[in-house]
Amino acid sequence: MKQSHIRYSEKLLEILFFLCAAISVVTTIAVIVVLAVETYGFLKQVPVTEFLFGTLWTPLLEPKSYGLLPLLSGTMLIVVGASLVALPIGVASAVYLSEYASDKTRRMLKPVLEVLAGIPTVVYGFFALTFVTPIIKIFLPETHVFNAASAAIVVGIMVLPMVASLCDDALRAVPASLREGAYSLGATSFEVTTRVVLPAGLSGIFAAFVLAISRAIGETMAVTLAAGATPNLTLNPLESIQTMTAYIVQVSLGDTPAGTLTYQTLFAVAAVLFLITLVLNIAANSIMKRFQEVYE
Amino acid sequence: MQDDKTGVILDIDDVCISYSGELAVRNVSLPIYEKKITAIIGPSGCGKSTLLRSLNRMNDFIPGCELTGTVTFGDVNLVNADPVDLRRRIGMVFQRPNPFPKSIHRNVAWGPTINGFSGDMDERVEKALQQAALWDEVKDRLQDSALNLSGGQQQRLCIARALAMEPEIILMDEPCSALDPVSTARIEDLLFELKENYTIVIVTHNMQQAARVSEYTAFLENGVLVEYGDTEDVFTNPRNQRTEDYVTGRFG
Amino acid sequence: MSSSAESNLAWRHRKAAVFKGFCLTVTGLAVVILVVLLYQVSVIGLPWLDGQFLSSFPSRFPEKAGIKSALAGTLWLVSMTAMIAIPVGVLAAVYLEEYARPGRVTEFININIANLAGVPSIVYGILGLAIFVRFFALERSVISGALTMSLLILPVIIIAAKEAIRAVPSSLRQAAYAVGATRWQVVKAHVLPSAMPGILTGIILALSRAIGETAPLIMIGALTYVTFIPEGPMDEFTALPIQIFNWTSRPQQEFHELASAGIIVLLVVLLMMNALAVYIRNRGTR
Repeated sequence: MKQSHIRYSEKLLEILFFLCAAISVVTTIAVIVVLAVETYGFLKQVPVTEFLFGTLWTPLLEPKSYGLLPLLSGTMLIVVGASLVALPIGVASAVYLSEYASDKTRRMLKPVLEVLAGIPTVVYGFFALTFVTPIIKIFLPETHVFNAASAAIVVGIMVLPMVASLCDDALRAVPASLREGAYSLGATSFEVTTRVVLPAGLSGIFAAFVLAISRAIGETMAVTLAAGATPNLTLNPLESIQTMTAYIVQVSLGDTPAGTLTYQTLFAVAAVLFLITLVLNIAANSIMKRFQEVYE
Repeated sequence: MQDDKTGVILDIDDVCISYSGELAVRNVSLPIYEKKITAIIGPSGCGKSTLLRSLNRMNDFIPGCELTGTVTFGDVNLVNADPVDLRRRIGMVFQRPNPFPKSIHRNVAWGPTINGFSGDMDERVEKALQQAALWDEVKDRLQDSALNLSGGQQQRLCIARALAMEPEIILMDEPCSALDPVSTARIEDLLFELKENYTIVIVTHNMQQAARVSEYTAFLENGVLVEYGDTEDVFTNPRNQRTEDYVTGRFG
Repeated sequence: MSSSAESNLAWRHRKAAVFKGFCLTVTGLAVVILVVLLYQVSVIGLPWLDGQFLSSFPSRFPEKAGIKSALAGTLWLVSMTAMIAIPVGVLAAVYLEEYARPGRVTEFININIANLAGVPSIVYGILGLAIFVRFFALERSVISGALTMSLLILPVIIIAAKEAIRAVPSSLRQAAYAVGATRWQVVKAHVLPSAMPGILTGIILALSRAIGETAPLIMIGALTYVTFIPEGPMDEFTALPIQIFNWTSRPQQEFHELASAGIIVLLVVLLMMNALAVYIRNRGTR
């Protein structure tokens, strides 16, 4: 009697735990359904070709136009700029951490990276607006108050700790025996690092790059504060632009009634954002998984 | 014997090695003779790998590892030598095969390439693979990844990789410990051929192996050199009781 | 040959030294950036940071403005998020590590969680807006915010808790099973206590993420001008990062200085949580 009672409650617990785990799947489904329904409503009124290939984005002004390219190009400017900052610095720091730093230095630097990674994005936005932009203006006075360059630099600084940390993991996963083998053939530390360690850790580094790009695409507050709210099809980083994320914030700061076309643009833009980052994340996760299998 | 330095290529004199202050090798003096095989035997943890790794300064990478005494190679003290220059003259083969995740050809060519070799690389690669008795097995797939080879083949590839540098001395750190008996026998055969041209120092916990392949044997225990001499003497007529106990398998 | 090899060697050594110097400099640069950033964002706000600032509601007049309602809102938000996300996250991790049979379903859930961790926070905001604010008609309340934040940090908690649970040696489980314990008894009495330092570290880092997140709260319409303290989960609210965002986006210098003061408070809270996490982790590994 007591035995079956125990078994019964054990089963109930297991079901409860399963439901907790299933919430993550429900979340994903909810995201997809919410985005799909409203995007479908949006695409009933705006042809998909205009949405994806139109070069004018003015949903809040007359005449209204729903071409996504300016928002995409704005996002790309931020991604390229942030990558230029974060990827080289991130890899170089990771090389220093894994190949040169003593254990003591590592133990000091790793928490610093974590602190950098934990600073809220709104703080980075403040930093961009009040510190980086004025500095750029000293050298390039024609720079707008809101500009892509400043936001991109700050987004780069923001994803830098993640890049450094993931690349450091990738390099440290390269077996020490490979380094010994290379050193025993009379290689210098430069040759061991660039010709043996970095190539062996390449897929892990690549995965880190992909994740960093995904993060930069989804970054919101720093670009909202520093890059402006001008959907602008330009490659000039000194101009004001608007990213997909910043547009979403701009609309939701106003009071937009549900059901309107403007409300639906939120979901259509978010759907594109979600799809891009999802593809990048899946790619990065599968690269990383394969990489781990090689060395385990 | 200690005074006769003819034919000595590497002279280990009163060497102590410590890890963060803890002595792992104590006052070891030992000659390494040219074009001979010297075996270093002893129970695990006796400092034999530490001693071997000090001969091409691989211990440089271990924080807190310090060496006192002198190791004379030619007319230079190893402590003052350039480690990069040193390592291309003293090669090393490790306990576990550690080929680079590159092609077979690139593995062998890697050392000469970074050291600015400008001759015929294919010829050099073939020669090294021939010497390592691996050529016939891999000549049709030199561009295959080295990771596809079996463990024994990988270890012979690592030997070829060391030979491609045409070193004066090859250090081998228990090169057969991760291999099956057949692969082990092949590598022992290989050692016999190699000693025509190379000086070899081999660390092994396998006494039969030491007895079979080496001319000289050093027995280390707790970091102390207990006995050194002709292999035959050490195994059949040891001067020290501890050596006798060890080589006859009475302890360990 | 020998002399050219010599000069070649010198050149190679020089290259290695330059490379090492480069990596060191770049790493140092990253640390300098951190110091400049922290200094820059806090120095102009320091004079504004006083009791009046902490105990006043927001105001049109900078000298009267404060973060009382923002602090209260953040406290409400984090407490409720913790109450929702911690049990769900830890139990989900328990299920995935201790109960689930390895197979397609488990694999799918794990991949799904890994991908959710990379979804931009603003997408969670959109979800919260559509589901909690509109569909469940919870309006712009603390509970809407807490539910949205919970979904956002759940993957972080689950991943950290899973790692901590996986690190518990299986010999411990087997010893407990061997004396006739049920699965839940093993988990409750042995696995969770051993995994606790790792789980706590993950929870603290996840909650500090919830404290700093801004975009999802803007999406669900957390108000920026709130002159009252929420008294229940259905009340409207603002939060510290929202207040900072609001002040930063105004053109006047005084409001930037207020934002800076708010940032100091936010960073102090986060640094303390970070330090706590590091402390717990170091104690756990000893």
